[in-house]
This record gives sequence, structure tokens and C-alpha cells, in this order.
Amino acid sequence: MSEARLFKPRFNPAKPIFNIVVFLLYLFLLAPLIIVFVVSFASNQYLSFPPEGFTLKWYQALPSETIFVEGMKVSLIVAVFVTVVVLAIGVPAALALQRFEFKSKAAMEAFFLSPLLTPSIVLALGMVLLFGPLNLNNTYTGIIIGHVAITIPFVIRTTIMSLATADTSCEDAARILGAGPWTVFRRVTLPIIRPGVIAGGVIAFIVSFDEAVISLFVAESGLPTLPVQVLRYVENSADAAVAALSVILILISLAVVVVVERVMGLRKALN
Amino acid sequence: MTESKLSIVDLTKKYAAGLAPAVDRLNMEVEEGHLVALLGPSGCGKTTTLRMVAGLMDPTAGSIMVDGREITQEPVNKRGMGMVFQSYALFPHMNVEQNVAFGLQMRQVPKAEQKARVAEALDMVQLGHLGKRATKALSGGQQQRIALARALVVEPTLLLLDEPLSNLDAKLRDTMRTEIRSIQQRTRATTLFVTHDQDEALDMADRIAVMNGGLIEQFGSPIDVYERPRTHFVANFIGQANFLTITVGEDVGPASAAGERNYKIEVPGLGHFGAVGASGLTGRSLPVLIRPHRLRASLQPSASVQELKGTVEQVSYTGDTLSIAVRVGDEVLQSQLHTTSGSLPHTGDTAFLSWDPEHAYILPEHAKAVAA
Amino acid sequence: MTTITTENPVPGTREGLESGVLEAAANKRRKRTYLALLIPGILGLLVSFVFPLLYMVRMSFNEGAPDGVVIDTFTFQTYIKPLTDPYYWRVTLDTFRMGLTVGVLCLVVSYPIALFLVRSTSKYKGLLLAIAIAPLLTSAVVRTYGWMVILGTNGLVNTSLESMGLIGSPLKLTNNMTGVTIGLVEIFMPYAILAMISGFGRLSPQLEEAAGSLGASKFKVFMRVTLPLSLPGVFTAFLLVFVMAISTFITPRLLGGGSVQVLATEIYDQTTGLLNWPFAAALSVILLVLFGTIIAIYQRIVQKIGG
Repeated sequence: MSEARLFKPRFNPAKPIFNIVVFLLYLFLLAPLIIVFVVSFASNQYLSFPPEGFTLKWYQALPSETIFVEGMKVSLIVAVFVTVVVLAIGVPAALALQRFEFKSKAAMEAFFLSPLLTPSIVLALGMVLLFGPLNLNNTYTGIIIGHVAITIPFVIRTTIMSLATADTSCEDAARILGAGPWTVFRRVTLPIIRPGVIAGGVIAFIVSFDEAVISLFVAESGLPTLPVQVLRYVENSADAAVAALSVILILISLAVVVVVERVMGLRKALN
Repeated sequence: MTESKLSIVDLTKKYAAGLAPAVDRLNMEVEEGHLVALLGPSGCGKTTTLRMVAGLMDPTAGSIMVDGREITQEPVNKRGMGMVFQSYALFPHMNVEQNVAFGLQMRQVPKAEQKARVAEALDMVQLGHLGKRATKALSGGQQQRIALARALVVEPTLLLLDEPLSNLDAKLRDTMRTEIRSIQQRTRATTLFVTHDQDEALDMADRIAVMNGGLIEQFGSPIDVYERPRTHFVANFIGQANFLTITVGEDVGPASAAGERNYKIEVPGLGHFGAVGASGLTGRSLPVLIRPHRLRASLQPSASVQELKGTVEQVSYTGDTLSIAVRVGDEVLQSQLHTTSGSLPHTGDTAFLSWDPEHAYILPEHAKAVAA
Repeated sequence: MTTITTENPVPGTREGLESGVLEAAANKRRKRTYLALLIPGILGLLVSFVFPLLYMVRMSFNEGAPDGVVIDTFTFQTYIKPLTDPYYWRVTLDTFRMGLTVGVLCLVVSYPIALFLVRSTSKYKGLLLAIAIAPLLTSAVVRTYGWMVILGTNGLVNTSLESMGLIGSPLKLTNNMTGVTIGLVEIFMPYAILAMISGFGRLSPQLEEAAGSLGASKFKVFMRVTLPLSLPGVFTAFLLVFVMAISTFITPRLLGGGSVQVLATEIYDQTTGLLNWPFAAALSVILLVLFGTIIAIYQRIVQKIGG
């Protein structure tokens, strides 16, 4: 740094321009979230600009909007079950993929991550087709199964990441001190990889909670989740009630972001 | 001979068919209360051996016995051993006391007894006051001692140490060396100690197993392996070494060490000298080992002693000692002088090298083509 | 001098373990363990991922009759229609064009942020990085809704421009491809930024400084050092955004308002509106094949460049 300055003391105009560009792009990236926030407090009866005044009426109206309350209930139940199921099957799979050597390991890992590389509309259609004869459309079971596929890669990835950075000699030490395989997992491995498991769990929760396409196909008519309700509402009406709801959804996401960032770092968890 | 605490018989580990075995039919007997160092360069099989003894790795063939009982097939968590890892491997989510108590919990020792034994173990490593601390907050040396307390509190059948000092800085390493040794002697825990550091092995061990290429090249006391190396590799790995290829001459009678003889030797083209070695070597062409600090170098020829005449090629001054490299014919010999001696040699000087016959040891075997 | 023993201890007389027996047993045990660990996950993915896709592929060879009736048969009829009907060619082309436009624009707007984040030495770097990728965890429905508010007839952009007197009547920014493109570009930015940052591995401020100290101008440093080194990240980001864009549904549906037809919306319309399940399945298979082909080609290219 200091050496570079010795040779280049002059002012470089490229830098502030670059920083302004970056700032504007950040603004673009956050624009929809900011605007939803602003609109949710605006007293305009219909979506329009500029805001005519400040109001909390959209928030006060939310509890009486049965479709949102119902949708919220469905989404929460689904997301909780999905998180539990996907942790229960994802963490052991990650353990197998990280702590054991076997021939088909790379293929197996690709298999577990492949739902990420599948268009959700295609998956959604497949599910609605398969679930029809099984009578799973419009049921909790159907939506939950649908969401397991798209959330399992996140749990696998964050858990593998945590396992990869954990010192395996801790597990060896516990075994030598007399712990059997299950005890080693419960008392040593699991506490050590807890950040990855938590991060995977909350990401699975929010991905399921926010998922719209599979829920739309599988359960639009009978058991609409909150995103499906929002989708339908936005298509049909122009008032700002949905903005208040959106702000709440954004805040829930933000909480997840903070948890993930705290326990293992957002970039690590999502990359 | 006393009953061995640990017997290793023909222990072999092959990682893959076609590869050279990592450990090749290794045999070793360890006496109760001894600290045995497995010493060798990386890849020599020492860690593999230790892990097989611990039960962390399955041998391809051979057997391991503790107190005369076969344990080769016993799972690792039933072997009742204690191990200290290079990374210490303290459980990061437990405090110091919880770490030390872990093995006792696994053995379902009553709570009150656990408490007493943990306190005792922590006192032994002088960390009784840190029981409630998180392990992350401790220094490397402290973590090391906790790891040692955790391994010893269960009164293990064997204490296994895997390069326990290599993550410490030089000064702390010396302190910990002494401390581990004294704790080991107090507890009389039979100990296997993996290291690549010859000083550590010489300083701490009752017996050293010098390993190379999956084999034990020599198993003996520190003095044995230093003074009477069986192979070129051992002589080179432990301490510094000069080798001269000589022809063994006449046997001139018993040497001071039991079973050894004094010989006249001929350094081809350079004269006749004295050396010691096993009996029956007369007439053979063998390497003779002279440690640099036992190779005298002087700038004046001596009238009474046979000497090698050479030219000083290099001088390196380290304060206490002066190391010089002297070219004698085709050979370059290292000599170490104390800096108290009057006139110190310079590059280009002519030097006269000599040694006492009991400081020149004829290796019983020819040098294998091993890179030093 | 102490006694000198140079002999190895006498090898044991008893027979050692027969070669490999213990390892074989341990391998068997290990295999049982990892299979037990994997099986719940494999079953979960079979039920929620593999079976639906297989069932869909099979469905695509059936015949659709009016009112959602499916005639169980084996025919390629469902594939002939999208491959011969110009309407579906146009939808496919529109989908591709949208993917390319969104991909390119997304790179343009994400690159500066990614470069900024890689170079930054600020203590807020972590926070800025988190802000850049946090939108990834917010609902696509919500973000699309935000764009409807911004771009709508009475939205932020139009009312601002009108009040400034720049336009007389509102610009049409929603219910068309323009709106969908703008929304998608923003929605995929976090993915592009993440992919670029990861791909910028070899890029370092020291390298740029070194080039600068050798006398290269800022522009030259960028063209000769920064840009080439960041290309792998740029490629990955483009591919990622492209494949997501050609298969995305929510944004074209909401911001397109029924007048933007891409493969994803077409699949939805075929199912909910027309109940032509086999045909929707065939369209999905086509989308999946396109998707897979592009990824395969991309991986080939990456291997070529990398090797």
C-alpha cells in the first residue's frame, strides 16, 4: 500500500466512480424489498405513488385476512415438518458422504445435490402427476414430500462443510476413551458440526416456507400455502395489504439470514 | 526377562494390494512402565503402527497383545487405552473438567469419584485452577496438558502419544518434554510415543524403535541406538555421522564394551587406525562411524598419533561450537570443535584429523543405498 | 558403557492373524454403517425426486383427451406437436432469448458488486457481502411483487417520470417481457454475485498492484489482468442465471401478467387450464433436456479451458 503510494500520489478518479456504480447497483438489488417496505406504511388505497401518508392499517388488517392466516398456518406446519424430516435424513447422509470412502461416493454426492439443478416447475409437474393416483395432492404429506427434494441439498452441503472442517481426531479421542459409535456421534460429532446443521435446518425451513411453485401445483385448490395465497392475491388485487404481509415474510427471511451468518457464514452456507 | 506389557507380532499393514506395505511384519516387545519412542521420518509407518495398537486402524496381518491377552480384534472403545493427539483433539464444546471426565463417564464411574479423579488428574498437570475454562481459551501447552490428563485419568492400559509436541514452539517443547517424562515416570504408564525428532526420542525414551520403510531398523536403549547403530540409516538418522569405508584388519583384543573387539583398520590409501566392533569382522570391508564431535581436528601434526591430513573446506560458527568440513582425498568429513580451543581453523587451512579407537565404531552391515 | 543389544526381539511363536481377515470384517462393518446412513436420504430423494420425474417421463408418452382424461398408451404424439407447431417454436425461442438477455444483463449488474466485494478491505465487507446475497433467502413472490409496485402503471417509475414531466403517459413496464426481464435480472443477482466471487479465486489485489507497478494503466490492468482472471466466475454465473431464467415460473407469471409466454408458463397453462397432462409432461421433458444439454456443454467447455 504505502509503496504504491510512493509512486502514485495523484488522485485517481476511477475509484469514486466505481464506488458510486456499486452503490447504485446495490440500490437496484434491494429496490423491491425497500419499496415493499415503504408501500406497506403508505395510506394510499391502491398501489400508487407517492405515498399519501403514514398508516399501520395494512398491518392491523392482517389478522382478519383469513386467507393469509390460513396460508401462514399451512406454510408453518409444512416448513417445520420439512425441516425435521430433511435434517433426519440429510445429516446421516452427509455423514456417510464425508466420513466414509466408497466407490460411488462422487456420484452419490451429485445425486443428493441434483434437485438444485432441476427446474422446480418440472419437479412440480412430476409431483402433481405422481401424487394424483396416490391421493396426495392437496395434503400436507404431498407438500412436505415435494419440499424434501428441494431442501435436502442445502442440509447436505452445510453439514458436509462442517464435517470437513472438524478435526476427526476428536472423534478418535472419544472412541479411545470408550465411546461407542452412537455415543461418539451424539456427544462429539453432533455438537461439533452443530453450526452446519443449524444453518442447513434454517435454510431448509425458509426455502420450504417461501416455496411457491411446487405448492402451487400440488395443493393450490385444497391446501394453499402462504406464498400461493400471496401469488393469487397479487394477481387479482392492487391494494397494499399484501405489502404488509411481504414485510413480515422479509423479516422472517432476515432472521434466518442473521442466524446463518452467525453460525457459519452466509456465503459458506449457500455456496 | 519380565512379562511384556505389549507384544506386537508380525504386524503388517497394506493399504492396497500392489503397494509396498506401510508396516511390514513388525515385531516389538514393550516392558511394563517403559516409554518407547517410535522414531523415524514421515512415511516410515510409525503412526500407522500406533493407530493399529490403538485400534483406530485394522491390521492386515499380525497380532497385538496387551498383558499377554490378544486384543487385535477388540474394538477401539473396549481397549481401555489413552491417547494424546498432535492436534490435542480436545472436545471444543466441553470445558476442561468435562473433557477430562469424558473417559470416566464412559466407564460409568460414580459422579463423586469422577470429580475427585478429575481434580487429581488436573493437579498432576498443574492445571487444577482451570477446570471451568473453555478449552479454546487455553494456550497450546495448556491444551496439551489437558489432553494428557484426559488420557491418564482413566488409568489406561497403554498411553499412546502421537507427535504430541510438534505443534508447540521450541522453548515450550523442551519444558513439556521434561514434564511428560516425569509424569510418565510417576504414573508408570507404559507409553508408546511417536516422533520424528531424534532429540525428543533420546531424551525421553527408555527404548527407541528406529523405523524406516515399514520396518524397525533397530530397537534399543537411547545409548544403544546412538553409540551402536546397527545400520547406516540409524547412524544417520540419530545424530550426525561421518562414514569411512575401511578394511578391517587384525583383532587386537577385547574392547571395553561386552562382546566387542578392538581392531586395526585400514583407510585405503591413507593409513592404519584403530576402531571397535563386533567380533569376527577381520578381513571385511565395512563402514566405520565417527561422530563429528569425536573427530579431533588440529592445525599442527602430532608426533604420537596417526592422523588423516586434509584441507578445511567450510567453517560454520554457532557460538558454542565450530563445525568444519575437511576434505580428505575423495571424502569430506565433519568435525565439531569447542570454541574454547586456542587457534580456530579457517577455510583453506590444512587440518590433521584423529580419533580414539573406542570412538570409531565399525557397522556390522554394509550401507544400504539409503539417502541420508 | 551399558550393555549393547542390537537384536530385534524374537518374533512371536504363535500364528498371527490371517492376512486381510480383520480388514475384510471391518470393511463389511463400515459398508453396513454408511449404507444405513445413506438409505433414509436415498429413499427420501427417490420418493420426492426420482419417482416424480420418471412418472412424468412416462406420462409424456400417453395421450391427452379432453377434460383431463389420460389415455394410457405409448406414443410420440405429444412430442410431435411442440416440434412442429410454430407457436411452440416461438415460445421456446422466446424462452431462450429471455434467458440470454437476463443472463447478460445480470452479469453486467453483478460484476461490479462481485469485483468490489473481492477487492474490498473494509471492515464492513462481511456485512456488504451478506446484504448482497441475503435476498436469495427471501421469497421470489415477494420480490416480484416489489417489482410490480415499482414498474406498474401507477408505480414508482411511472409516477416519478410523469411528475418530472419526462413522459406524458405511463410507460408499459409490466405485463410484458421488459418487466419480466428487469425482475429476473434482480432476482438472480445474488446467485450471479455468489458464483462470481467463488470463481474469482485467482484474482488478487496484489496481482493488480503488481501489474500497476509495472506501469500498466488502470484500464490496461483491467483488460489484461482482472477480466481474464475473472472469466471462469463470469462463465459459471452466466450459466447458472441462464438455466434458472429459462425454467423460472413465478416472475414471468406475475410480471408477465399472462401476456408473456415461456416454456414454464406454458407448462402451467397446459396443466391447470387445459388439463392436458401428457402434453405438459412432454414440454417439461423438453425443458429438462435443454437444461441438461446446456449444463453438459458448459462442463465440457470448462474442462477444455481448465485442462
